[in-house]
Amino acid sequence: MIDIFKQLVEIAGNRVSASPCERYCYRGDASQVFGNPDFVVMPHSTSQVSRIIRLCNEHLIPVTARGAGTGLSGGCSPVKGGVVLDMSGMNRLLEMDIENQQVIVEPGMIAEALNGLLKPHGFFFPPDPGSMAMCTIGGMIANNSSGMRSVKYGTVRNYVLDLEVVLADGRVIHTGKRVLKSSAGYDLTRLFVGSEGTLGIITGAGLKVVPLPKTRKLIIAFFAEADIAGQAVIKVFSEGITPSACEILDKTTLSVLKLCDSHLAIAEEGDMILFEVDGTEISTEEAARQIIEICKPLAASTRIVSGLEMQKIWAARRLVGAAISRLDPQKTRVYMGEDVGVPIKEIPALIRKVQQIAGKLDLPIMKYGHIGDGNLHVALFIDVADEAQWERLRLAADRIHRAALDMGGTVSSEHGIGLARAEYLPEQMGSDAFSLMHSIKRVLDPKGLLNPGKMGFS
Amino acid sequence: MLKEDRKAIDQCVRCGACRSVCPVFQESGWESANARGRMLILRGLYSGQPPDHHVLDSLNSCTTCAICTEICPAGINPPGLVERGRRHLASKGITSGQQRLLAGNILSSGNTFGIENERLSWLADRSLISKKAEYVYFVGCMNSYRYRETAARTFAILHRFGATVLPAERCCGSPLLRTGFEAHKLVKENSRQIRKIGASTVITGCAGCYTTLKSSYPNEFEVKSVAEFLAEHISELDLNRLDLNVSYHDPCHLGRHSRIFDQPRELIEAICCLKEMKTSRENAGCCGGGGGVRFGYKDLSMKMAQKRLAEAPDCVDYIVTSCPLCIRNLRDAGGGERVIDLVDLLAMALPEEPIR
Repeated sequence: MIDIFKQLVEIAGNRVSASPCERYCYRGDASQVFGNPDFVVMPHSTSQVSRIIRLCNEHLIPVTARGAGTGLSGGCSPVKGGVVLDMSGMNRLLEMDIENQQVIVEPGMIAEALNGLLKPHGFFFPPDPGSMAMCTIGGMIANNSSGMRSVKYGTVRNYVLDLEVVLADGRVIHTGKRVLKSSAGYDLTRLFVGSEGTLGIITGAGLKVVPLPKTRKLIIAFFAEADIAGQAVIKVFSEGITPSACEILDKTTLSVLKLCDSHLAIAEEGDMILFEVDGTEISTEEAARQIIEICKPLAASTRIVSGLEMQKIWAARRLVGAAISRLDPQKTRVYMGEDVGVPIKEIPALIRKVQQIAGKLDLPIMKYGHIGDGNLHVALFIDVADEAQWERLRLAADRIHRAALDMGGTVSSEHGIGLARAEYLPEQMGSDAFSLMHSIKRVLDPKGLLNPGKMGFS
Repeated sequence: MLKEDRKAIDQCVRCGACRSVCPVFQESGWESANARGRMLILRGLYSGQPPDHHVLDSLNSCTTCAICTEICPAGINPPGLVERGRRHLASKGITSGQQRLLAGNILSSGNTFGIENERLSWLADRSLISKKAEYVYFVGCMNSYRYRETAARTFAILHRFGATVLPAERCCGSPLLRTGFEAHKLVKENSRQIRKIGASTVITGCAGCYTTLKSSYPNEFEVKSVAEFLAEHISELDLNRLDLNVSYHDPCHLGRHSRIFDQPRELIEAICCLKEMKTSRENAGCCGGGGGVRFGYKDLSMKMAQKRLAEAPDCVDYIVTSCPLCIRNLRDAGGGERVIDLVDLLAMALPEEPIR
């Protein structure tokens, strides 16, 4: 029998591990989905990835790619064992092509590091998940992730021009060209964006980058109820203003926010909306003034923030999701039902619904998210040592997912499907569309070895 | 396992924020080398997973620098959990050769080097040792045996305020406690001597000793770092200005662990121009020497130290710090004589050469 470990070592040298300890560390991500890999490999080049994939294809070994493992859906959990490909070691910037508004990166490049490199050139890569200090570009592409500024700048999908992909049989393809637009053939780039490692392994990416705005301002508005906050948001958009971010944080979230940074001068007087506007000094001032005008009749209070205070608020906002234990050390945030999205007009109704679901099950809840694009992050937290609380949590997550679907929404806006939300995908897409997706999967991965067990594929 | 430890491990949501800051992970790249991985390993360990040398390497390669604690959204303190994990393994006899060697040195000789020489050899005039004093200068192993001039300079300054030294100081116990062992005997012996002198305050110039004296000794006396004490008495020091640019490296155990950021800077800025390193204060990079890593994983330790040295501005004459272990590691990694103790810098600004 072939010694797979030895073969992997021949390809990737000492960047291969079969130790129980390392394998245990690569069981999953931040979700509750766990697998048990047989090997962990940290490749350094496309050619290494191609050779590993060929080996696995030949010997029918499952391969699960992974970036920083910051996902929330079990997308990188090796539920069928096999090889975990830790792509975070392939983290180089291959080309900075500012004249063409592009960069070419390896998939392990950290989002924040890329923006650090772009800043001196006056450019940035806009998608900004809360995990941008540690998540990789490859992981972001695989999950079509986004963040607080997606309301204006869109998701990763809007910035990927070309991908280098290792296919299931080891061949290496490019899905696009170094052009800002193309109408040549099927859009394979978009097919691979959000495919969660089920169609191929991304080993390189050509990304569009955009100029940094000259300035940013934050408008903080407090509302007595989420409903009224929702009305204000809809009114802002209806008036033709597109904020660069539009976030809702409920009262509990604000308490946690202040525990993340005790110096924040933020009251806890209701639901807070953060509107960020960016652009020139004049345009942001005008937009901020307009937003204040629109909110004033509806809000309990409003104020404009900029500079260091704004940075501190955003920094705390990025941490808030995982920080619930600071409020109640007996409880832990569990990521389930945390990423639903609905048409923005439905957000107040969704908030009411999730509150009702959590209330009925006697579960504490924190609600925050990107109200500007209809994405609500529901944070449920429990004593993880109490099995009864787990039961209620699972029930709540299921009901939240179904509520979003009932409102014409999605079970995942930016975190992906993985295994955690796989059961809802056929329902969300409809059986014919899901079946078409499955057909595509079979063509690209006939042996079913790439991230098996995910996205509802049997 | 302590119930609180299980709770703390459970609070880790595996967000991976620690990946962005852990200096060991930045060198290694493997999950087992960051706090998230270590929390998983501890969870496995306490759930009955059999430990192997990879588990030991994961826990032992943590410098306990606590930058993960600083950033952890869930508010967990991984170094504390790692240290207790090491203790759990050591209690079952699972230790590395280096751990055993270090512990053996300390237990046999009372110092980390296993040296039989006299600990007070840096002090020429023994008549300066008082039987009773308000202040005790706790020298520590590193300064006693490796940086004797710094020890002498520190004592010369502190003696002006009536400080004495212990007649038979032992290792504070920090290396044992950091690497999974107990240090009851050392704590008992040093405490006995401090009690006999009747000191209200123990002053130390070693960040490791400081943390240990503060957290693992009986709460019978106040503990101050040399930086704290001298900053309180800055007006009495009569310091001259020096035409120097210096950076300050925050030792992890003095900075992040003990929140002593301002006092060393106050002293430096009183005598010369402070140019901050690329990361500083609570975000300061680790020298790579702590937590037993210098002793157990020298190559890894040196890489971290080199990275830290590269964070100093080119224009500085000295990289000043207030921990002899940091000095040792940064010097060995290429910093050489450019890396000095805070007291060595202050000595340059004193009106006269201190007593030896």
